[in-house]
Order: sequence, then C-alpha cells, then structure tokens
Amino acid sequence: MGGEKNSYNSREASHRALRSIRQELERHPAVTEVRGFPSGVFTEVVAEVAVERWEIERDGATLTVRWFAGEASESKPEFSFHYSDSETDFGWHHEPNPHVDGWGHFQERSGTDNEDYSYETFTFPSEHPSRLVWEIMSYVPTRLEAE
Amino acid sequence: MTETADGLGAWIEHTSAFDRVQSIARSVSEPKPVSYIAEEAHVAENTARDHLERLVELNVLLESESGGTALYSPDPLHVRLQTLRELLEEHDRDGLIELKADLQLEIEERSEEYGVDSPDALRSLAAESESAAETSEIRRSASDWELMLYRLSIVEDAIEGYSEYNRDYRASA
Repeated sequence: MGGEKNSYNSREASHRALRSIRQELERHPAVTEVRGFPSGVFTEVVAEVAVERWEIERDGATLTVRWFAGEASESKPEFSFHYSDSETDFGWHHEPNPHVDGWGHFQERSGTDNEDYSYETFTFPSEHPSRLVWEIMSYVPTRLEAE
Repeated sequence: MTETADGLGAWIEHTSAFDRVQSIARSVSEPKPVSYIAEEAHVAENTARDHLERLVELNVLLESESGGTALYSPDPLHVRLQTLRELLEEHDRDGLIELKADLQLEIEERSEEYGVDSPDALRSLAAESESAAETSEIRRSASDWELMLYRLSIVEDAIEGYSEYNRDYRASA
C-alpha cells in the first residue's frame, strides 16, 4: 500500500476525464463515431449520434463534451454535454451562468441568433464523467421527441 | 428540473461490472474509497474491491490509506503511457513534430490574445471580466490551455524517445 498522498494535477485529471468520456461514448450503442477535437489537440470529445435508432430523422447529430476537473481537487468540475443537429441544439451544462442560480442548467436554442437560448436550472444525478455520459445520452431522445 | 430516463440501466446493460469500476476509478479527481466507486459504478462493494485490487496489481491504480480506509486513484504514469502509446500509433515522427508545432501555436495565440503567460493568469482575468459571456469564454480558454499543456508535454516525450518507444516487436513476430 502506498500511503503517500496523491498530488492533484488539474491538467492530468481533466485529460483523464475526457478519455473516460470518449471510452464510454464508444461503448454506447447509439454512437457511431467518437473523436477528440480539435484533431490532435483534444480539448473536447465529439460523438456522432445515430438518432435514427430512436426513430428520429435529423442530419448531423452530434454530442460535444467538454470537461475541466477544476483548479483544486475539491473544486467543482466545469463541464458541458451539448447536442446539436441540422435543426436544433441544446445541452446540459455545469458552469457559472448568469441566467440561472447555481452551476447546473439545461439550455436550448430558442431563436435564430447565436446567443438566443432559454435556460433552466438542472440538477445532475452525478458529477462523475463516465456515468454522466450514459445519463445524458438517455435524455437526448426524450428531448428530441418533446420538440 | 430533473430528467427521468434510465441512463444507469443502459450503462449496466451494455458494460460489465469490471468496465464500470475501471471507468469510474480511472477518472476520479482525488483518491476515493471503495464505497464511492461501488456506488457510482452501481456494483456491490465486494465486487468493486476485488476489481480495484486487480487494477492496483496491474499498475492502473494506486492504493493509499487514510484513517484506516483504503483509497484508490489512477496512476498518473499509466495514464501518461497510454496517451503516449496512442500518439505513437497515430503519428510518425514528422507527424508528432507537426502536432507539437500546432499545440505551441495554439498556446502562443492564447497568450498573445489575452496578454498573459499562463492559464492561471488567464483565470485571474476571467474574475475581473465585466460581461458574463466574456467570463465564460475566458474560463473555457483557460481550461483548453491547461489541456494543451498536458498534451504538449506528452508529445515532447514521444518525440524525444521516438526510436526507443517505437520499436515494435509485433512487426517481426
């Protein structure tokens, strides 16, 4: 048993989180391709989503995930899971935003302007990247069907 | 607001208990006890403990102790070597040199754009920003910068040890 205290490294922790997110997306049956983005730089993960699996017809369906583990080990992680396709975009974000109290929120495009979103406070069932991939992927079809 | 779909059920259906324990344990931000990992992975504590001990033996995880409780965290060396191996699989030496230049350029551009020399200094700027949108953009840019610095350090390792790391015994098998 080691006994030594592990020192926190925000860069390494964030990188590990993105790797886990990529791996879980690769395992998900509704995901056809996953890549680190930008190519080679890998500051976010982009997954192509096969929405036809849910009997929904949309072109260019992707889920883009960002994750920063926080400046210190006790800090809250900053992350977003944002879905977009040819008709809409929406996402679950955990980061400061003046439109909502607290960090967790759901935002959805509400107009044609790039800045035009509606916001709702959202409580995440976990703050763990691996598990959240599956939770968020289960919300996407429900959201698309509700439109 | 909450959502009601069963993502956890899908995760359990499509992965093994070992997959989930490994995935959770490899992405914790700080050392965690078996109870935390078992709950997040949705497995029994005894199952989680068995898998965690195996992962320690394989040098994937480190085991430490606090107040008589075993804690598990990812071995940073294992993570680094995994990323190094991926880079060597994806790029030849020229490609790695090109990637290093791309990362350096991205970092330099951020530094010049904001007039600071580190992600921490950039975060300090975010705290002083007057608009919420700008604050958010600066925080994201600082996070990207941190990730690029980590990746750059591994790309540099890959270039420096290219000949040694890239001996591939599979080719002569």
